[in-house]
Amino acid sequence: MKSSNPSTASPQNKPSTTHFGFEEVPVDEKAERVASVFHSVASKYDLMNDLMSGGIHRLWKRFTIEVSAVRPGHKVLDIAGGTGDLAYKFSKLVGDDGYVILSDINSSMLNVGRDRLIDRGVNNNVQYAQLDAQYLPFADDTFDCVTIAFGLRNVTDKDLALRSILRVLKPGGRLLVLEFSKPQNSLLEKAYDQYSFRLLPLMGKLITKDADSYRYLAESIRMHPDQDTLKAMMNEAGFANTEYYNMTGGVVALHKGIKP
Amino acid sequence: MDPSVKTFITGSLESLVNTALSYDPASRQELANLTDILAIESNSPDFTLYCHGSEDGIRLMCHCEVPATTQLSGSALALLSLLKQPSSLANSGVELSGSVGLLQQWQALLHNLDIDWEDAISGIIGDITGPMLASKLRKGAEWAQNQKEVQLRLLQEYLPEELKIIPSKTELALFSQDISQLVLDTDRLDAKFKYLGEALNKKEQVEKGRAE
Repeated sequence: MKSSNPSTASPQNKPSTTHFGFEEVPVDEKAERVASVFHSVASKYDLMNDLMSGGIHRLWKRFTIEVSAVRPGHKVLDIAGGTGDLAYKFSKLVGDDGYVILSDINSSMLNVGRDRLIDRGVNNNVQYAQLDAQYLPFADDTFDCVTIAFGLRNVTDKDLALRSILRVLKPGGRLLVLEFSKPQNSLLEKAYDQYSFRLLPLMGKLITKDADSYRYLAESIRMHPDQDTLKAMMNEAGFANTEYYNMTGGVVALHKGIKP
Repeated sequence: MDPSVKTFITGSLESLVNTALSYDPASRQELANLTDILAIESNSPDFTLYCHGSEDGIRLMCHCEVPATTQLSGSALALLSLLKQPSSLANSGVELSGSVGLLQQWQALLHNLDIDWEDAISGIIGDITGPMLASKLRKGAEWAQNQKEVQLRLLQEYLPEELKIIPSKTELALFSQDISQLVLDTDRLDAKFKYLGEALNKKEQVEKGRAE
């Protein structure tokens, strides 16, 4: 599997276009366009998350923390950590002997996350890094746990990102990917489609005055690999004991993989 | 059960327990030492709750990646009844595996639990009405407890003495003694029969040997 969503291949066998929602865009353009979406929504990201999910995103993240098995002394990397929900919990679990790196490719999101954590009194064991998940600037075998929550679908080359994560994980370390996925019930899927494509952009328009960003959100969710495809991608990247947990009927799935 | 539902249940319960524990600082402090995992496994309904203490209070989880130090399993009703009588597992329908020490630490914590409900109520309805309401509730609880004991005592006398539908305590004790004596006598008789049977067999074998 060369790329998660390859569409057109160049002579070097690298895709020249990729998905941006339902649109086909040049590979080099995707990161920029995703960045503009998140610059636009960063200030009201938390409010919108609560409204869009009815607060359930907190339960999904709580379950992710439970599956992470992070304990005192661990080193954790939270990629696409956004407003720092996971990093806050991890900072309490790792204690003073461990550390958490809250990272995001988007400076606006990272600023919101950093301000929020500082406001909550977290300043001893959390570091901040603006980075691209495809090219992680860390030494091999550094982290006990890497999480990426609602971020992988925005990455241009998911396979490259998975391999990069594998490299920085310690042997025995685990990757947790929390991401929207495919509902397991056809009735729920229909209701979810109606909600995503009609209500979500409307809410975006009313609250952040930006319907397009939320339309992209709904579209990017549909273009993201389903549960089994993502599991296969993780296996392909070199993870072992991969498994996933469907949550809220498969609307969201948590994938787990261990570095052998 | 969907992990979202399980997480909602454990999260709500954790929040409730930690709020209550904030009115008992001593127990909360003790919780920081209970870092090993206690798994409480209900088989009807099928649900496992993992808990351990931390400096921030109790932590409840619906999923745990590390093996539990102590595991309690049984029906939900049997497990809940342990909260009422935490000192004994005998005939409770609850099975224990793993470290007993951890369970004893939790039992001691539950036994010494002293939540300042008065403070909690005052925090909600004010410093004047709070203690007044708490005092009324305390008196009400004392009266109810007293009434329960009186009614039980009266019932214990009325049923055997007036209605004569059940035996009195003394009669029951005597009857129980007779039964115990009968059990002992039966055992002795049984042992005697066995002894005589064996003796008879031996005698027959000796006689057979002589005849041959």
